[in-house]
Amino acid sequence: MILAEDLTKDFPDLKRGQVRALGGVSFEIPAGEIFGLLGPNGAGKTTCLRILSTVLQPTSGVARVADFDVTEYPADVRRRIGFMSNNTGIYDRMTSREMVQYFGRLYGMEEDVLDARIEEIFDVLQMNEIRDRLGSKLSTGNKQKVSIARTIVHDPPVMIFDEPTSGLDVLVARSVLETIDSLRDQGKCIIFSTHIMREVEKLCDRVAVIHRGEILAMGSIEELIDQHEQPDVEELFFELIRKHDEQVPVTA
Amino acid sequence: MSPRNVKLVFLREVRDQLRDRRTLFMIVVLPLLLYPSLGIGMFQMMTTFREQPREVLILGVEHLPDAPQFMDADGIRTEWFSGGEDDASKLNVIHSGMTEVGKDAKGDATALAEAERLRLRIETVFELLAGSNKSISVPADQSEPEDEKKKVQKQAATDALRESGADVLVVIPPGFGEGVDQPLRDGDDGPAYSGPLVISNSADEKSMVASDRVLNALSNWEDALLARRFDEAGLPSDTHRPAKISKLDVAQTEQIAANMWSKLFPALLIIMTVTGAFYPAIDLGAGEKERGTMETLLISPAFRSEIVLGKFLTVMVFSCGTALLNLASMGFTGQYMVSMVGQQQQLSGSMAFPPMASLFWLFVMLIPIAALFSALCLGLATFAKSSKEGQYYLTPLLMVTMGLTVFCLSPTVEITPLYSVLPVVNVALLLKGMLLAPVSSQTLYAYLFPVLISSAGYSLVALWWAIELFGSEAVLFRAAERVSPRLWLRHMIANKLPRPSFSQAIFCFVAIMFLQFAAMGPMQKILGADESGTAMLKVLVFQQIFIIAMPAILMSFLLTTSVKETLRLRLPSAKHIVAAIGLALVLHPLAFELLASLQGWFFPSLPPELTSQMAKMMSAGEKNVWLLLAVFALAPGICEEIAFRGFVLSGLNRSGRTGLAIVGSAVAFGIMHMIPQQVFNASLVGLIIGLLAIRSRSLLVGIVFHILFNSLGILHGVFGAGIKTDGIFQYLFRHEDNVLRYSPLLLAFAAVIAYRLIRWIGSDQKSEQQADTTVRDRTTATVGSELLGEKV
Repeated sequence: MILAEDLTKDFPDLKRGQVRALGGVSFEIPAGEIFGLLGPNGAGKTTCLRILSTVLQPTSGVARVADFDVTEYPADVRRRIGFMSNNTGIYDRMTSREMVQYFGRLYGMEEDVLDARIEEIFDVLQMNEIRDRLGSKLSTGNKQKVSIARTIVHDPPVMIFDEPTSGLDVLVARSVLETIDSLRDQGKCIIFSTHIMREVEKLCDRVAVIHRGEILAMGSIEELIDQHEQPDVEELFFELIRKHDEQVPVTA
Repeated sequence: MSPRNVKLVFLREVRDQLRDRRTLFMIVVLPLLLYPSLGIGMFQMMTTFREQPREVLILGVEHLPDAPQFMDADGIRTEWFSGGEDDASKLNVIHSGMTEVGKDAKGDATALAEAERLRLRIETVFELLAGSNKSISVPADQSEPEDEKKKVQKQAATDALRESGADVLVVIPPGFGEGVDQPLRDGDDGPAYSGPLVISNSADEKSMVASDRVLNALSNWEDALLARRFDEAGLPSDTHRPAKISKLDVAQTEQIAANMWSKLFPALLIIMTVTGAFYPAIDLGAGEKERGTMETLLISPAFRSEIVLGKFLTVMVFSCGTALLNLASMGFTGQYMVSMVGQQQQLSGSMAFPPMASLFWLFVMLIPIAALFSALCLGLATFAKSSKEGQYYLTPLLMVTMGLTVFCLSPTVEITPLYSVLPVVNVALLLKGMLLAPVSSQTLYAYLFPVLISSAGYSLVALWWAIELFGSEAVLFRAAERVSPRLWLRHMIANKLPRPSFSQAIFCFVAIMFLQFAAMGPMQKILGADESGTAMLKVLVFQQIFIIAMPAILMSFLLTTSVKETLRLRLPSAKHIVAAIGLALVLHPLAFELLASLQGWFFPSLPPELTSQMAKMMSAGEKNVWLLLAVFALAPGICEEIAFRGFVLSGLNRSGRTGLAIVGSAVAFGIMHMIPQQVFNASLVGLIIGLLAIRSRSLLVGIVFHILFNSLGILHGVFGAGIKTDGIFQYLFRHEDNVLRYSPLLLAFAAVIAYRLIRWIGSDQKSEQQADTTVRDRTTATVGSELLGEKV
């Protein structure tokens, strides 16, 4: 469902000229799998996910989502994905229902189908109490629920979550992770980025450790732990980062 | 593009704005409450607060003639004021005769004692001013050279006015009454005496207002004095006005109203349209980024053009709404105020609204102007990272608009063909004309089409720009950057590329324009002193080399790694040289006739000074045509090409958008010529040279075209009148006002050849874009690899 081949992305920088944020990333994710992108801040996770969601254009390489090239058919890709990140805010002056309804309409859903879908999602996510509440009046947890509802309203086959639990308390974070887990059971192809090891261990079928724009290791948690002879994910992560930094010193 | 998505975005944004208290306050509440309350408040203030009386000190009233009586116990007699009692009540007159008439009850005795002391001093001044009966005005700027005597006079008068504490000091000199009353005899110049002296300070408005009233009273009194003299001499009282000129004002109430609305409504329409677009645009552009909803919207299936169009329509609705509500509110308030003032002053008539036809055109004009401002505001707001930053970017637009509005308000400025295609100005001037004379101004309707078409064109360009910005990653995901000129300079030098960047190209153009403006003053001085015309020729060569070519050459060396790539220093193919020569030959007659056909009715005539300087140069050059060709063809052909098809075009084309780069460099090339005719001509020619430069990848092709094209213009001017137009040539040329003109047959032939040649070079598929992409990829890969610590 998701294919990335040698994806690169450069950004202009006043101090350093062109900076390579993503340096040739490749992976493939089938349907019904949660693929984790594990990396520290500034590793290139968000850049990679923004390319997959067509918000950014890759400098080189190929990215295909649901068999559509992200550069050539961005609208087709967007129709088939649900994207949620800690950057995707909700409208302050729209109620929860209006917000989800607006995006459902943008996805071209028929009104009756959309209404039924909204009812279903609001029941599952326990959002009926806040359906007529304005975005500005919602708590952080409820805002995140609205974001999830907006992401899944059109029932896309591919889901992209960029640090979805960032800034949330444990209760809300747990609820978000449970929702993502249930989406896998529905056969969705899910890519999930985080820097929290526990979430990866708990949720992901496979994981790619990404650092400074490069994938350092990729596979299932068990495979990687065995392969690098580390006791757990956290140690594995630190070992991979340390080795890479020793080989490639940081340039200012 | 899906109209459904545009509608969805539009409806959402409108609803969102209607729920925003700030927007509602600015757009609806403010006009509906502010103007009426302001109007009523002002009316109340007008009735409550009156102009404060100004103090006038009159010295030497005893020297006034007995008849006609200028003053009475209360001061200057009311009958001498044109404004009657109202004017008289605004002057508090203190005079040296007041103690004699028992006016010291108000505590003015001290002032009079002071006045007496001053009188002695003023008498001294009088002696200095002997013979002068003019008022002395004390200007704020005393830097003008004056002779010593005048300086002493002015200083004494200044001290006297200051020490008197009055706003105006009037001094009646001794012997004035006797002098005036002395009868005139035939052949006599009359008795020698000095007249009243009115001392005021023109830098002080209160003093000026009081002085005007005093002078008005004195003037009327003088007229009465004159009438008495005529009467005594047995002459009619209006002997001094033999022409008996009288004035009749035929203005009707409606016309007075139309005059006022024509000044008020166009200015208000424009300012309120931009104000109405201001806040919604910031909220929909920068606000969306600030709230984090921009990314949410970008991942929806709606195309960016659909999103921008939806937002643009929203801004436009609020812009139109604000303008209409403000105009309506201000119109009704103005009408109410005028009627109240009229009632109070027992005046007839009221401020009738403009006729429906004018209001209809006001509505029609509102649409293109609102579209233009909405697109511009949305583009600028999208560029901003936050609402605060958006306000900084949009404020200059508001200021420029207000400047244009002030220009349009001038009664001497009327719509012309040239103004009819200038943005904002065209709408304001046409509307002004239509409100002023809606029925009689049939000619104004001829401007309707160019105004609407050009305004729609500007709006579309602005909308396209907003869509472009919305599609730019650099704009949408712009991170906060420290503003550091040092860092920026270091970046420019350390991270050089073979070709300049877009911003460097713009900087080069701005530098050239700045140098042009800076050199304008010294150049004018040289040209003013030049009689022969040769100095101008030298100045033009200097300008070409040091103001136009040099910045581009220096920047090529300093800011790029390849001067050769930047300035396209390579030999072209024979095909492109042939095309350049052919195009120069066929475009010359087309450009000449196009300009000639627009001259006079569209473009204004050249300023006389410029025409005379051009004539001087041509006469200087006629002796040596080669000199003219060197100055007007060779120098610009090389220098302007280095700047505009070299540095500027290379920079603009780095993004790979060749069409835009050609248009951009051509417009910059045109603007550099400054004179409207040349701006138009050079912009069109710049398109062709830009295309030649891009397709040939060589500067030389443009140089060949430019030199040949300019040379043909010079040769046409020098030898054109002498070319014979008989025989076969009569089908190609003709003479008109001693100028060689090209026949329609020749022009048609030239147009066909030009079209074929442009198609010929346009078919060349090898473009600079491919080369640029290769260069960019190579450089990026190098820098990126270096950053990642790889060896290249």
